[in-house]
Amino acid sequence: MIKTQQGIHKSKGGLIRSFVSAENGKIKEISISGDFFLFPEEAFFKIAEELKGIEAKREKVQQKIEEIYKREIIQSPGTLPADFTESIMKALEG
Amino acid sequence: MEEWRFIDFGMVDIRDMMAMDEAILKAGEENTFFFWTPKKSIILGFFQKANIELDLAQCKDYTITRRISGGGIAFSDERCRQINYGVVGTIDNEAFPMDIVESYKQICGVLIDTLKHYNLNAAFRPINDVVVDNRKISGNAQTRWEGKLLQNGTLLLDFDIEEMLRISNIPKEKFMDKKIASVREGLTWLDRELGEVRDMIEIQNVMKKKFEERFHVRLISSPMTGKEMEFTHSILPRYYSNEWVYR
Repeated sequence: MIKTQQGIHKSKGGLIRSFVSAENGKIKEISISGDFFLFPEEAFFKIAEELKGIEAKREKVQQKIEEIYKREIIQSPGTLPADFTESIMKALEG
Repeated sequence: MEEWRFIDFGMVDIRDMMAMDEAILKAGEENTFFFWTPKKSIILGFFQKANIELDLAQCKDYTITRRISGGGIAFSDERCRQINYGVVGTIDNEAFPMDIVESYKQICGVLIDTLKHYNLNAAFRPINDVVVDNRKISGNAQTRWEGKLLQNGTLLLDFDIEEMLRISNIPKEKFMDKKIASVREGLTWLDRELGEVRDMIEIQNVMKKKFEERFHVRLISSPMTGKEMEFTHSILPRYYSNEWVYR
């Protein structure tokens, strides 16, 4: 059975809630929500989308998020890629 | 002196208001400052999920929608004792800085000047709050689009903490008194700070004046344009749709 767990992390810019499940060491389902700010808003959806299938390891998750930040020119005052990673890892580690 | 547009939308359905808000940003052609008063409602931030943030069974008599900017829930009870404002402006690095926190600070300055007018110890608390004696009295949310910014915010005149906790998705049985006390510690509102109930129109007029002083402009009342109205109608169904609100 695959368990979806919640990870909550508070950055300076807001609360980040992640619901993540993993299968065979890879992220299977992931949803992120919260009261943070991120521009451009639509680019946010790419984070969850592109994390699916990624190895469920901190450095891999962080690397992917940083890559999306760079490519989409994301700005998120008070919230860093590492804050999203932290929330996701908390969910993965249960 | 430069003239910017002013609109007072009065009491509105927030689904209509959020559509007009977006239309002023995306179809408008001038810098605009506006007020509205929400009916009993909840506005979700762009990245929030309704079923996670809210106890939906308790929200049945609230109108719920979502806005295009991030941040947290904006909640208004039936007393409607809050001033909601919007600013749309071209990012010019003078009136409206490119730097996000600086631009929040600039616009929040209008609220701080207003609160200081009432002799309150108001200050900006980055990223996007205004506090009185370190208690939050105003939350603000900004988004940007094609070289323009839209900032919405609320100045609390009164606030029903128990009602806010009732509709929130938190365990209700335990620690309710503790939760009320903790919110009361971190949040405040004008009626409480002043120890009296001031006329909302009077406060709005002070805000308008402080806005004019801060930006060195004259505000001229003028309605939405045909183009903005047309844009509003084209996006209105989204603000009423379950796909948008409960996604």
